[in-house]
Amino acid sequence: MEVPGEFLMAAKRILMAKTSLDGHWRGINVVSRALRDGGFEVILAGMVTADTIARVAADEDVDLIGLNVGGRVEVVERILDTLEAQGIKTPVFAGGTIPHYAEEKLVKRGVKCFPPGSGLDDIVACARELTGATA
Amino acid sequence: MTGKEWTTVSGVPLKPAYGPEDVPLAYRNPSAPGAVPYLRGAHALGYRSKPWRIFQLSGFGNPEDEAERIRYLLAKGGTGFIMEHDRMTADNLYDVDHPEVVARREDVGISGAVIMSVRDCDLALTGIDQAANYAHAGGGVAQHAPFAMAAYWNVALRRGLKLEQLNGTGQADFFLTYIGCPPLHQIPPAAALKINCDIVEFCDSRLPNWVPISMAGYNGADSGLNAYQELGALFACNIAHLDEVKRRGNVPLEKLATALGGVSFRMAMDFFEDICKIRAARKMWHDILRDRYGITDERATRLRIHIVTAGSAMTYQEPINNVVRGTVMGLSAVLAGVQSMGISAYDEALSVPSEQAHQQSVRAQQILMYETNLTAVTDPLGGSYYVEALTAELEERAYGFMKEIENAGGFISALESGMLHGVASENQMRLEEMMGTGEREIVGVNVHTSDHDPFGIDGFEGSIDAWEKGMSRLEKLRKERDSDAAKRAIADLEAVCTNGGNVMEATMNAVGDDVTVGEIGEVYRNVFGSWKFPVSF
Repeated sequence: MEVPGEFLMAAKRILMAKTSLDGHWRGINVVSRALRDGGFEVILAGMVTADTIARVAADEDVDLIGLNVGGRVEVVERILDTLEAQGIKTPVFAGGTIPHYAEEKLVKRGVKCFPPGSGLDDIVACARELTGATA
Repeated sequence: MTGKEWTTVSGVPLKPAYGPEDVPLAYRNPSAPGAVPYLRGAHALGYRSKPWRIFQLSGFGNPEDEAERIRYLLAKGGTGFIMEHDRMTADNLYDVDHPEVVARREDVGISGAVIMSVRDCDLALTGIDQAANYAHAGGGVAQHAPFAMAAYWNVALRRGLKLEQLNGTGQADFFLTYIGCPPLHQIPPAAALKINCDIVEFCDSRLPNWVPISMAGYNGADSGLNAYQELGALFACNIAHLDEVKRRGNVPLEKLATALGGVSFRMAMDFFEDICKIRAARKMWHDILRDRYGITDERATRLRIHIVTAGSAMTYQEPINNVVRGTVMGLSAVLAGVQSMGISAYDEALSVPSEQAHQQSVRAQQILMYETNLTAVTDPLGGSYYVEALTAELEERAYGFMKEIENAGGFISALESGMLHGVASENQMRLEEMMGTGEREIVGVNVHTSDHDPFGIDGFEGSIDAWEKGMSRLEKLRKERDSDAAKRAIADLEAVCTNGGNVMEATMNAVGDDVTVGEIGEVYRNVFGSWKFPVSF
């Protein structure tokens, strides 16, 4: 039986990482599950540093990086700087308790932000758009 | 509406109205408040004899910031205080120079104050009379509890107080530690259980007015456990502790029951379900102690309850609406007859509380306490067909969940295997999906939304120099302290941890010799090892 080409393509891979703060995992878990249900392969990294995010992104050849943000915007900016310095052009999106001023800064750097209350469908749709995945 | 299934948020089916036939026999003629099994209240006179404790969590930035905020809350009418230590350093037992902390140093102090030593704790208690105030010294995460309490207690000793004079509570909560908020590095549950027993025994001999540990179903519930799962899991956890302390045989059973009988639950937005949960909790604790342990001393079987209103109920959108949510949840706690309360701040979804938000949390409690006449009559909902029927239903389901945990090998095994995390994760997903379908409606979030909130707030910024100042204090401490004494204390602690002695006592001694939280963490990690969080993809 002939299978259309797009069904043979490997699932797009998303690295999900906590940037900081503490061990609350509800947000990242729910989003990761929704992305997996949406057809993505999810690498759930837990709380990791900027260097680890950059290394995993490169080694695992991920298509998208999702950051669970719970702290100050400087910590997220360090991650973006590290990716940039290492020439990693993987798109990044972020969710969590992101104050408005932080969101403005992140959006300017091309990071799509999902504050608390964002719909899972919107997040999955955004991941498809950023990775070119089909529904 | 036709076709809609009406249930509680935990999925208990609801009828349109309840009648006498819905109330099980055992609930038809309950004993009065203050009489066993305490279904209707812990005390006969309820709030007439003692108002609930206004007990708010606070802490951010530098120790001095923490002291200032605690004094502020006490001045506003708080009747105790809860110290929040910086989560990144405290939860993981790191000093500020640990590489994991340095890698995200800007976040140090964003949630909790940096307290690495007895000296830091003394600064965090500047102007606060430890003999006159009821305190939660920190140590929500189990491995942090010995340090947090040792720091608080050593400050008191250095100020010339006696440990017997101190009133307060520990936490060392397995729900925060292993379900709600697992740190990067955390000692395994079996080691934490052992240390919790050490804490119970230490307090039994040294601090008669201190609740040694206090499990917080809250942290299971806000991570996904539903109302009856929160109940069942909490008592399963307490049973694990009861069994272990009993096995060690150093604390009489009645005293042990009292020591473990201070717990906390979450009040969320399903108004009646949470009221019924609290009523069922009191009855279950009494019945479990009587039936499983043969405890007949009525005072020992009285459950004392602190509640926190659900942080997860506080929305990021239109945050001022959270004032109403906090009040509604607080009201349910009053109707349920709790002993102590913290109302989460309206800016919860953005940051730790601003001063204004913190004051509002205290004021909401005071308005409930002073203006409503709610304190006049105990268990005002008792006898309601609906309330009694739902209380009975939750009790039955909670015992069912306890059984599931027992079948999974007991509470510790259910943690190790990830069974509880699996249950929580499924519920998290279900609630989130119900938001998508509109089965669950949150005003301002998925119904009656606005594209733009002109009344939005940015959250509280805190202190941005907490890491730098922490580094200076750490350097100064290492220079000034008696380094031989500190070294000896670390070696002693390591020996005690290795040979099974009382870790609380050894940690108390080490902190007294100016040993830091990071140094203590290194010993614990070396001896007890690390636990792997059982959620993976």
